[in-house]
Amino acid sequence: MRTLEVLAEVVWPADEKPTQIAGFVASSFSPLAAGAAERCLERYPREGLGRTAVVIVSTSGDLGTATGVATAVDAAKRVGPLLFFQSVPNAVAGHIAARWGLTGPVVSVCPLGEPLEDGLELAALLIEDGDADSALIVHVEQEPDSAQAVLVRGGEQL
Amino acid sequence: MTDNEERGGRDVLVTGMSVASGYGRGLDPLLAGVLAGTPAFAPVGRFDVSGRRVTVAAAMAGTPSLSEDLVFAVSVATGEAGLAAESLPDTPLLLAVHADPDQARIAPGRRWEWSAAALARGVARRSGLGDPLRVYTSACVAASTAVADAAALISLGRYDRLVVAAGYLVDADQFALFDAGRALATDGRVRPFSAGRTGLLLGDGVAAVVLESAAAARARGAEPLARLAGWGRAGDAYHVCQPRPDGTGMARAIGAALDRAGVPASEVGYVNAHGSGTAFSDVSETAALRLAGLGGTPLSSTKALHGQALEASGLLELVLTVAAVRAGQLPTNAGFLGPDEECALDLILDAPRPPKTPYALSLNAAFGGANTALLVEAL
Repeated sequence: MRTLEVLAEVVWPADEKPTQIAGFVASSFSPLAAGAAERCLERYPREGLGRTAVVIVSTSGDLGTATGVATAVDAAKRVGPLLFFQSVPNAVAGHIAARWGLTGPVVSVCPLGEPLEDGLELAALLIEDGDADSALIVHVEQEPDSAQAVLVRGGEQL
Repeated sequence: MTDNEERGGRDVLVTGMSVASGYGRGLDPLLAGVLAGTPAFAPVGRFDVSGRRVTVAAAMAGTPSLSEDLVFAVSVATGEAGLAAESLPDTPLLLAVHADPDQARIAPGRRWEWSAAALARGVARRSGLGDPLRVYTSACVAASTAVADAAALISLGRYDRLVVAAGYLVDADQFALFDAGRALATDGRVRPFSAGRTGLLLGDGVAAVVLESAAAARARGAEPLARLAGWGRAGDAYHVCQPRPDGTGMARAIGAALDRAGVPASEVGYVNAHGSGTAFSDVSETAALRLAGLGGTPLSSTKALHGQALEASGLLELVLTVAAVRAGQLPTNAGFLGPDEECALDLILDAPRPPKTPYALSLNAAFGGANTALLVEAL
């Protein structure tokens, strides 16, 4: 088993609205995830990234998008085409990975225990198994909104 | 001793599997329909599709329940594996799902109770399994990532046995989203790697597999169906929803799977491609296959027949791939109209072919530039 070394971490301020991302509408989920990820990654040299996994952890999932779709469907109205592109948590992971050149695995999970711990456990597995050298874990929730991000890399082999 | 064991990892075997699809419940109707090349698509009757551009999907009859079908799938897979009831509580579940379909219609404040994690706890409890270990919501690589992670956990010696289950049942919300995103095939057929392809079609998929270490399977005298010889996961770092055109992300996932297994590309006898039937994705996957040395490997995308089962697709296709190779018949790439020069591959057309080797790759890709490759050796 390998330990993890924390390289950077950020908790998104509860009273701060995240910046909108082009192409993402109607829900704070992806802007929150991207905002927390960006601030976390800014604290570490870009050239040290690369085979970094992006792990999105969320119990609520993107409720803003899901309820928007459900409301439109139940009212027999058309669903906005942009909602299609943001309908899964992987979408914002792709946005983060593309902006920062992160080529490790992209994984979204719904935590069963303490969310950040779940994400760190998964990150440790991806690193120990060899598909990633480091991992960015982004924990994002709605109702109420919150986000935090942690960048880790593999440490000692125990 | 296998290559994996020589590298210090433990061999991972598939000892039980089950599936439900648009062909109905069970592996037999799925395998029979796919080998006959008969698509499972039909007009959607499960919910209202008036006003949609596309009105077909590969859905089971009636209005099945995701949790019921997941419990059933786990029970069939553990039964086929011959697991004694007393060993189930020591067997954790990894589940791949979108979310509980009712979640978005619950009053604010209680929606967390309808999370994918809550669904997993219910399925595990009702199946008699131990507490769930992880719940994947990674779109079309959710199930294949769960399989890769389960294999890693067993190979590293953390667990002797795990159950991986996955489920997606065609629903009004996802159907509306895919229709609005113009992702669905307007001619009612999925035509992977073909000229004239117009997109994907959704399909039901609920599947479960029992994975265990070779030592654990041997100790209880289990008959393995396949060995999970290798697995790989890699990201494109390219776009929110489009695959990297040069295919390097998927090629790295394939390379990781082959390297783990110690199997050269020339030994792979079949590829069940992601093959969504969308214009961009099939070209990108072709580039990946060529980069990985698989441009001349017999290949088909069975999504042309059972449809795209989203979070469950990786497991549905893995089960089908194992079953087809074991049956000695590689499925055809249905819906083919004619060659697309950007997708020049060794497509299996006209009739199923016998496999030349026991090794087969099952590939999946998803939004976010996520790619997975699972290499199985049919036993």
